[in-house]
Amino acid sequence: MVQIRDLTKVYGHGEIEVVALDHVGLDIAAGEFLALMGPSGSGKSTLLHILAGIDRPTSGQCLVQGTNVAELSETDLADWRNTHVGFVFQTFNLIPVLTAFENVELPLLLTALSAGERREHVTAALELVGLADRMKHLPRQLSGGQEQRVAIARALVTDPTLLVADEPTGNLDAHAAADVLGLLQRLNQEAAKTVIMVTHDPKAAAYARRIVHLEKGELLNEEGQTQRNLSMGFAK
Amino acid sequence: MTISGFIVRNAFRNKRRLALTVLSVAVSLFLFTTLQTALHLMTNPPTSDQSALRIVTRHRVSLANVLPEKYQLRIERLPGVQYCSKFTWFGGIYKDPSFSNFGQFAVDADRIFKIFPEMVVAPQEEADFIKEKSSCVVGGKLMERFGWKIGDKVTLLGSIWPCNPELTIRGVYHAHNVDETIMFFHHDYFNELMNDRGLVGTFWIKAASAEVIPDLIARIDAAFRNTDAETKTETERSFQLTFISMLGNVKLFLGAISTVIVFTMLLVTASTMSMAIRERAREMAILKALGFNGLDVFGLILAESFGLAMTGGLIGCFGTKYLFAHVDIYKLSHGNIPLFPVSGDTLALGLVVAAVLGLVSSLAPAYTSIKMSVVEGLQELD
Ligand SMILES: Nc1ncnc2c1ncn2[C@@H]1O[C@H](COP(=O)(O)OP(=O)(O)OP(=O)(O)O)[C@@H](O)[C@H]1O
Ligand SMILES: [Mg+2]
Repeated sequence: MVQIRDLTKVYGHGEIEVVALDHVGLDIAAGEFLALMGPSGSGKSTLLHILAGIDRPTSGQCLVQGTNVAELSETDLADWRNTHVGFVFQTFNLIPVLTAFENVELPLLLTALSAGERREHVTAALELVGLADRMKHLPRQLSGGQEQRVAIARALVTDPTLLVADEPTGNLDAHAAADVLGLLQRLNQEAAKTVIMVTHDPKAAAYARRIVHLEKGELLNEEGQTQRNLSMGFAK
Repeated sequence: MTISGFIVRNAFRNKRRLALTVLSVAVSLFLFTTLQTALHLMTNPPTSDQSALRIVTRHRVSLANVLPEKYQLRIERLPGVQYCSKFTWFGGIYKDPSFSNFGQFAVDADRIFKIFPEMVVAPQEEADFIKEKSSCVVGGKLMERFGWKIGDKVTLLGSIWPCNPELTIRGVYHAHNVDETIMFFHHDYFNELMNDRGLVGTFWIKAASAEVIPDLIARIDAAFRNTDAETKTETERSFQLTFISMLGNVKLFLGAISTVIVFTMLLVTASTMSMAIRERAREMAILKALGFNGLDVFGLILAESFGLAMTGGLIGCFGTKYLFAHVDIYKLSHGNIPLFPVSGDTLALGLVVAAVLGLVSSLAPAYTSIKMSVVEGLQELD
């Protein structure tokens, strides 16, 4: 489903150059629930942004279902995000002037669906996250956990190829976090959604089927070595 | 919800700011359309099918010089002349001098309303007026202003001419979109008070058709060439424009203020829109993450800004129209402005200004939010 090859992202240039991702390679199969872990500044968000098509790599490839995301024009990329990616952010990022229902409906406004069809999809998504009774509530009338569940409904209402979540439980208490993680897990197991989640909480990562670690822009293998360390070891 | 519903919701986010912005656009457009109307009135005296048939003969040197009354006979004999009336500005004082700036003209009672058919008098009143030498006919608004009734006596104190006509009101004329604040009385009576000196300010002539006018003008002036009082004959429109050309600086001034108003309005709406969108940088990034492309985002911002400017524009333009249609501008201006019609063209111009305003105000914020990457936008604080 996702093939990442030699992916490098460098911020700035010259003296202040920061290598956020350093020749990263990673395969993600359809139906996986992957947790990306690593210390702060290790490049987790950067990697997630590139494979979700909101940032572009400096070099290397990121294929999602055979599409080289980095090669799409801005407009095509926007379209691609609409159909292929569902986002969940740490800070929920619901539109404050729209109700839960309308927030979930937002990405569908870009599709050719009729108002009736949109209503069906939105209702189904909100039922899936257990908030069918909060449709008419504004974000400020919801708890943090509920807001994040609305955000998840918004992310999956277009039936995307990938569900990406950057620290989805970072702003939640333990109880709400467990709810949200349970929900992501259910979506993965029961609805066969491919989920990629950034977290630095091991308890959250435990919900995933696979965990990969990043450190200083490099991916670690199971023994905790970076790929470069490994190749240096072989060289000796 | 629809995209337009979303735009409206966005616009109503900050209700106080919305109200203030719409109000400032409305007030600016009120000022703009008012100034444009004033400008229009100055540069385009009201015209009608009738006014296109009228020509005016005056002394070649200036309006202050008078013509002999015997010219009338020679003018009337020229082909193409339908009616000709003596027409002398009396400029007298009624009661308090500061109070009485209305036009008084000595005219030929039996012709004046044939030359000005847009001024309508009841036939019986016109007959009474023609019959009685010391009578007068007064515009409806002037009657109202002084609370006059038919049969009232009005004495004018001459300030240009050394005589004081004592007049009886015998008729009222009404007119649509034409000055309703004039008093007409008998030229014969005026002449009598002036000891039959036979002085006339101007002659107003109604031509049989518009085609004969150029020829007629040439013939009239030719008829009096090489006399003591040579004439200058011109169309009603060009005659009125001679008054207006004296107002050149006022025109420039009004034009400059209009421009400043439009420009200020542009700054106000552009900065409001920039502020509104700036606050939403993060939401714009979310919309983009959800799949809205640059054009979609531009559309949202443009529609909001356009809607805001047009709402203000409609309130301002139609508010102006409504106000001047329902307020007695003649009374409010103490008789200085007889008419203040806000034309359809002026309203259209005001709305075009509002539309351009909406468009231009959206450009800077749209450019900023399109250029900002999703990742940058997401890092913005709320
Ligand atoms: N716009 C930017 N300009 C310059 N450097 C950046 C930019 N964005 C990220 N970086 C740098 O790239 C590196 C990786 O950042 P990234 O946000 O991917 O880390 P992260 O693993 O998500 O960290 P955290 O757990 O704190 O969210 C960091 O060193 C960061 O300072
Ligand atoms: Mg991060």
